[in-house]
Amino acid sequence: MPKDVLGEFEHQVLLATLRLKDGAYSTTIVLELERVTGRDVAPAAVYIALRRLEEGGFAASSLRPPPEGGRQRRYFQVTPAGLDLMRESRRRYVALWDGVESVLEPGSP
Amino acid sequence: MGDAGSPPRVAEALLRRVLPPEDRDVFPEELDELYRIRIRTRGLLRTRWWYRRQVAELLLRRLGTVARRVTTTTMEWTTDMDALRRDLAYAVRRLIRSPGFTLVAVLSLALGIGANTAMFSLVNAVLFRDLPVRDSGSLVEVYTGEDDGYAYATSSHPDYLDIRAAAVGGDGPLSNVVGSRTILARLDGDAGPELVMGELVSWDWFQELGVPMALGRSFTAEEDVTPGTHPVALLGYRTWVNDFGADPSVVGRTVRLSGRPFTVVGVVGEGWNGSLPVVVSQIYAPLAMTNAFMEGGIDQLSRRGSRSMFLKGRLREGATPQQADAWLATFAQGLEERYPDTNTGHAMAALPSADVALHPLVDGMLTPVAGLLLAVVGLVLLIACANLASFLLARAEDRRTEIAMRLALGAGRGALVRQLLVETTLLAVVGGAAGVLLAHWTLGLVMAFQPPIPVPISIDVGLDSTVLAFTVVVSVAAGLLFGLAPALRATNPDVAPTLKLGDAARVRGRRFDLRRGLVVAQISLSFVLLVGAGLFVRSLQKARAIDPGFDTGPAALVWPMSELSGYETPRERADLALRIRDALEADPRIRAVAMADRLPLGAAVQTGAFGLPDVPPSERPSGFHDIDNARVGPGYFAAMGVEVVQGRAFTDDDLDGEPLAVVSRAFVDRFYPGQDVVGRRLDTGGGESTRIVGVAADTKVRTLGEAPRPYIYELGGEPTLGALQFVVRGEGTGDELLARTLGVIEGIDPDLVFLETKTMDAHLALLLFPPRMAAGLLTVFGALALLLAAVGIWGVVSHAVARRTREVGIRVSLGAGASQVVSLLVGSGMRLVMAGMAVGLLLAGAAAVPLARFLYGVEALDLATFVAIPVVLGAVALAAAWVPARRAAGVDPVRALRSE
Repeated sequence: MPKDVLGEFEHQVLLATLRLKDGAYSTTIVLELERVTGRDVAPAAVYIALRRLEEGGFAASSLRPPPEGGRQRRYFQVTPAGLDLMRESRRRYVALWDGVESVLEPGSP
Repeated sequence: MGDAGSPPRVAEALLRRVLPPEDRDVFPEELDELYRIRIRTRGLLRTRWWYRRQVAELLLRRLGTVARRVTTTTMEWTTDMDALRRDLAYAVRRLIRSPGFTLVAVLSLALGIGANTAMFSLVNAVLFRDLPVRDSGSLVEVYTGEDDGYAYATSSHPDYLDIRAAAVGGDGPLSNVVGSRTILARLDGDAGPELVMGELVSWDWFQELGVPMALGRSFTAEEDVTPGTHPVALLGYRTWVNDFGADPSVVGRTVRLSGRPFTVVGVVGEGWNGSLPVVVSQIYAPLAMTNAFMEGGIDQLSRRGSRSMFLKGRLREGATPQQADAWLATFAQGLEERYPDTNTGHAMAALPSADVALHPLVDGMLTPVAGLLLAVVGLVLLIACANLASFLLARAEDRRTEIAMRLALGAGRGALVRQLLVETTLLAVVGGAAGVLLAHWTLGLVMAFQPPIPVPISIDVGLDSTVLAFTVVVSVAAGLLFGLAPALRATNPDVAPTLKLGDAARVRGRRFDLRRGLVVAQISLSFVLLVGAGLFVRSLQKARAIDPGFDTGPAALVWPMSELSGYETPRERADLALRIRDALEADPRIRAVAMADRLPLGAAVQTGAFGLPDVPPSERPSGFHDIDNARVGPGYFAAMGVEVVQGRAFTDDDLDGEPLAVVSRAFVDRFYPGQDVVGRRLDTGGGESTRIVGVAADTKVRTLGEAPRPYIYELGGEPTLGALQFVVRGEGTGDELLARTLGVIEGIDPDLVFLETKTMDAHLALLLFPPRMAAGLLTVFGALALLLAAVGIWGVVSHAVARRTREVGIRVSLGAGASQVVSLLVGSGMRLVMAGMAVGLLLAGAAAVPLARFLYGVEALDLATFVAIPVVLGAVALAAAWVPARRAAGVDPVRALRSE
């Protein structure tokens, strides 16, 4: 996998991490993705994606107990490189969406 | 099942193993959280499966990652010669710095690899090595079947000429067929008369097989046409060197073979020892000279029913062995129609030469033995490897702080693993080289030992490329086998605790100790080998104790070859035999003399076909029965100590009368139970018959383990009396009797050559040779395994002593006595030994069952063996654990506590 291209699932994991702000670790990411997409998400896949993102420098992790107390969790944050990557991929998507609107929604202006 | 609230236990344990160390305590918690949430929405059973699926998925993905990484690292590394050179230099320095470890490691490996190389060389030489012939892939062995259904027997000369003509002249799958037969001949060399093994071959034998001549030429077509007209011979290379001093002027000289002058026309090239891989052929002559070497002036060349030739066929380009086989089958049918008297029931068959080592029948017997021996030495190597792995683990553990430091400083795990592997592979290669030397030396010893058979034996056990390839593969496999696990383990520490706590970090937290597992494995494998050795030793004892049914006391056995010594007619030979017997019996110190062409429990199996009146016919076309037989002279039963229980034995007066026989009791029990057979006649074929005059007690005939076997003793009349061997009984040892016997015979004819001269002990030794070899080899390997296992226990206990110095110091300072400390440490070692013996008991029980067919008179699960071996193994293990443990008793508590 070239370093600057995200797979669709990794993309989703990064988005979920961003949405969860300070509360992003594997469990919450799985639950968030399931809530938004409405489909079952495998924690094993999330775990692997997170490790790859971290290896690629797009995410960083730290160990700390959750606010409600208990054992340590590995919390993830999106790094500046990760943010750059997401901006870039959004730009590409938006460019692709350009001009498609009239086909998908013929009624609107 | 655990409680409903927590995830499946096995899956969770597996999950922890699969994860990298830094996530081991974190991710399972997170997954557990999800698990609890899911149970509420999806139910217990589905959630448990869901959890297991997550673990499986993670395992697969991690394996994929590791595999990819190892491949990349290996690729990078093998292309990075600088790194390799650095690693090698570092490994050499480290090995030199700990010479004790290096020596033990190299020695263990050398023993293991050496034993494997030696054994494989033997098996390779006998079973795997192709004859050094041109294009061996297109050769087939051609056999004539027996009429009792056995497919792979020898062929007759007339049949051979017909097959050859059809092959050469036709367009079948074979382009040529060449033939040979083995002979015994008397060679009057520079060093006096000598009995030699030789081969009679078709004139184009050497050309077709692509065997070069060292000197002179091989035979010409003209020399192999008219019987008896071209007395020409080739010398085997060794005979040329040993008996003729490698004299190049030997070509053109005349040598006397079996009393007839032969002109030497050449010397066969050095690489060729004859067509059998084991027996050395010393001279060669054309097939047309066959009758010059045959007894009694019988014409072997023209008798279609006399089958004793080995044939090899050359496949035409594109033809397959199966086509040759089918072609021969058809051809044999044609021969049956043309020559029903001699060829009915004799089919023909071909097998690819590459698939035949000695002979299909012999191969079938040797293969399981070879497999057994290779399995045994394989176990020894496994034990040696386990030892080294154990040592390396100990060393790796001692280096944990260093390795953790290097990992923390950013060294790649791949680089560290690589460096450790270079070290173990270096050890394995040095051990392998030493092993090859050891094997070479051992084989030299083994080969200097001539088994108790009368023909010269040559097993070419030289280190050919197959053997070396085997050794290289074994060495590298051993290096990886005992190196990889320690290397992976050593480079996978939890870096932080090791750095923080130093040596204290490794005292706890080992769920499964690989080193201890290795000791258990070693003990159990040694147990298996020792049980095998024990069973064969017991079997040897039993075999010795079996009563063979004849007198095994001291006797001289001499077999003169008067046929080869100038006694031309059967009459002359019979007279000579009787003269020798009378001269022997005239000696007051000689008690009795027997004559026979076969002694019980000899190497040769000999049967005759007999028609038995009033007994259902056999399945042979003739209806005759194959029964073990021997031709004997008068006086045989008295001298052999075999009782004649009914009727009478033979006397001198019978010699000129009708053919007579004595049968064994087992013969009566099998064919005429409850009847009086004295006076009955047995049909011996060709309209002849023999009259039974007595019944003798049973003796063992072929093997000690057999049930009583029907046996027929025929009185050797004038035609055969001169071809029998003598068994001489009297005062003194076998060697004294032998010297006396030879002295007496020398007084009658000093020029007689002998097929064999030996004592009764040597004769019986041949029979006990296989069990004695098996017992000897297994005992050696079992002892080796025991030694290696003892070294393993010693290593584990002494490492434990070093590691637990602090603990021992505390115990001693709290008042523990020396003996308590010692028994604590010995006890921890012996627990492993007990576990190993328990596993070994099961393995040995399973392994012993297929061994049963190699054993005489011993049950596979022999109680004595299964009791004695644990005792011996336990005692040795105890000693190995006690020696290092004793050192701990001398620990000075103050120093021990200060040591960290």
